[in-house]
Amino acid sequence: MKASTAKRNRLVTGLLFLAPSIGGFLLFTIVPLTLSFAMAFTNWDVRRHNMFRTESIEFVGWENFQRLLSHPAFWQYLSNTLFFMMGIPVAIIGSLLAALLLTKDLRGVGSLRRIHFIAVGVLLISLIALHLTGFDFGGMKFMIALLFGGILVAGFLGRSTVYRTLFYAPHFTGGVATFLLWKKMYNPQTGPINTALSPVVSSIESLFQWLPPVAGPILALVAVLLGLTTLGLLHRKLGQAWLDAEAGRGALLALGLLSLFPTAMGFRWMQETWLAPLWLVGAVVSVGWFMARPMRQQPFRQVSAGFGLMRLALPLSGAVVAALLLIGLGLVAWRLPLMAASGEMAPPDWLADYHWAKPAIMIMAFWAAVGSNNMILYIAGLTNIPRELYEAAEIDGANRWSCFWHITWPQLAPVTFFIVVMSVIHGLQGGFEMARAMTQGGPAGATTTLSYFVYIEGFESGRLGYASAVVWALFAIVMFMTLLNFKFGNQNVND
Amino acid sequence: MSWLPKTELNPGAPRSTLRYHLLLTFLGLLMMLPFVWMVLTGLKPLAEVANESWIPSEFKWGNFKEVFSVIPFGRFYWNSLLVASWVTFLQVITSSLAAYSFSRLRWPGRDKVFLLYLSTLMLPGLVVVITNYQIMIKLGLVDTLVGLVLPSAFTAFGTFLLRQFMLTISPSLDEAAEMDGASKWRIYLDVILPLCRPGLIALTIFTFVGNYQSFFWPLVMMRDQEKYTLPVGLLFFDSEVGQSTHLLMAAVTMSVLPMIILFACLQRFLISGIQMGGVKG
Repeated sequence: MKASTAKRNRLVTGLLFLAPSIGGFLLFTIVPLTLSFAMAFTNWDVRRHNMFRTESIEFVGWENFQRLLSHPAFWQYLSNTLFFMMGIPVAIIGSLLAALLLTKDLRGVGSLRRIHFIAVGVLLISLIALHLTGFDFGGMKFMIALLFGGILVAGFLGRSTVYRTLFYAPHFTGGVATFLLWKKMYNPQTGPINTALSPVVSSIESLFQWLPPVAGPILALVAVLLGLTTLGLLHRKLGQAWLDAEAGRGALLALGLLSLFPTAMGFRWMQETWLAPLWLVGAVVSVGWFMARPMRQQPFRQVSAGFGLMRLALPLSGAVVAALLLIGLGLVAWRLPLMAASGEMAPPDWLADYHWAKPAIMIMAFWAAVGSNNMILYIAGLTNIPRELYEAAEIDGANRWSCFWHITWPQLAPVTFFIVVMSVIHGLQGGFEMARAMTQGGPAGATTTLSYFVYIEGFESGRLGYASAVVWALFAIVMFMTLLNFKFGNQNVND
Repeated sequence: MSWLPKTELNPGAPRSTLRYHLLLTFLGLLMMLPFVWMVLTGLKPLAEVANESWIPSEFKWGNFKEVFSVIPFGRFYWNSLLVASWVTFLQVITSSLAAYSFSRLRWPGRDKVFLLYLSTLMLPGLVVVITNYQIMIKLGLVDTLVGLVLPSAFTAFGTFLLRQFMLTISPSLDEAAEMDGASKWRIYLDVILPLCRPGLIALTIFTFVGNYQSFFWPLVMMRDQEKYTLPVGLLFFDSEVGQSTHLLMAAVTMSVLPMIILFACLQRFLISGIQMGGVKG
């Protein structure tokens, strides 16, 4: 009897402390959640059910979802969203590299006098370099050189704190203000990006115009050969590390695969007809990769070891990725002289161009994402790795690459997992602010993501039932992706 | 071997860090270039905006003043500060109370309720935004600052972050306080809150900055131009006088610079907050 009173008292105290939070939680999360689910099955439309027209709101079953699936725009917006998400692995790699640089021991530059000496030297060298490259727009070279010297000196004194602030600033200030800033920078006529690009482009153009048109195929061949050599060198360099590092291999492959498409597809000369086979091959490879993952688990591995299936799957998909890269490279080289000859070579119109709008936004998002919370999490993860691991590896004569693949990357696996899960969740519902502030979802819906679609349907068209259906479809995709992440991604985290 | 910590075996030559400094400076400069362009364009006369040179022929500090006369910029500033402050204030209170309950008190069903909280962290915010708007219409709070503040005043994230902080405080402290006859409320006020000050500061900055920049909710909620917050106001500015890039950049500068300064001063707390909320979760 007494025990149960004490228990009840504890419950009452606990709930009293929780009351303000749970009250708001119920009112603004649980209730709307339930309502929104119900709304997805109604034909609630502000234009038909308002204070002037009181048609009753009816349940229409799965009609909204059926309409959604047969709506071609939905598929376009879904693929836009997925396209933007291909920037995620690139951004994660960027954050990791930044974190690796920032956790370096930056002491030991020396005395203040030495710092001054270096600063003056850097200033002079950068001035001379800028002058030699002909980069002379009024006081620009002085300004850039001054900034460089200034940051360098600040870095000597404040070390990683200074650089961290610089890297983190784009993320911290992110939002409509910076989107408007980039919108102005991307302006094809007056923006600084094209102002700086057009002399470069025209010099490239005159270079290619000077070449005969036959040069195209030859250039393509040279580019492919160069690409092959680079891949070969990389393969040799990675060498044993690639074969050994269990945790790193799969993840690296996936990251490489994902980061391929934005580079390949961003190019304007990849016409729509080229996109279809690229998508197809990419899809096949990713499906193959996902199917290959479970096969590496114990029972399968023993069975497949004899057939060498698993051994084949990874190099094969790697080869497809490499082939796609080479095709892209070759195409670029092939098209460049042709474009120069017809005089259509110009800096892109960025946000105003159907093919460039997405890459433009992804470049901006990369700028904002490199120094984000992910970088901070990686810095924490890196400082938590026990030093003894590296010292032991050094005694064993491990080189930098194998240290990274065998120690750093596996030790960071929990952090990476967390970052991937959160990035996917955010990525799927992202893109609204950019679309609203920069492009209005255009040109021709090229930058409309699912979240912007929800905004249009729910707040501009007023089709609340339909918008709720979109939201729940999005929710289902988020859950599916998160489950996939938990199923496959955290294998390496637990062991 | 310069990636290894310096030991007696591996003294590391002083010169070796210079290349990292040079590389980091180069990258840091790249990250800063958009901001440099932003500030300098904000100082240009209109005719020079499209010039190749980023440097204005004369520095027009008057641009910054002009922004306030073209749009009610001071008003937007004030609204943003007001909304962000209120949300932060309410969120810190509700989150710390809930976090105390989840980390310090033992009551039946506690962990299940906490799991429910946690699961909403994965919930897309879009799911509730349409219905929340309808709720606001029913409550008559559309186009009011109260309606802007209320739904953001309760978050699972804040509760989660502060709970992580509170779990790092040794339980023997509250046991000792309890021995001395302190009530749970006293322990919360006098023992736990002072000890998780870094967490509270981190949450304060996160919430403040997040709400200073929040866009979707103010955009759909606010009709009256006088009640716009800064991001909505900037968008409005861009659509109204989009041709005066120099003024827009002056306005953007004024909304971005406080954030950079804030981060430079308070980054210690922020970073510990991010690490608490991420790695240990």
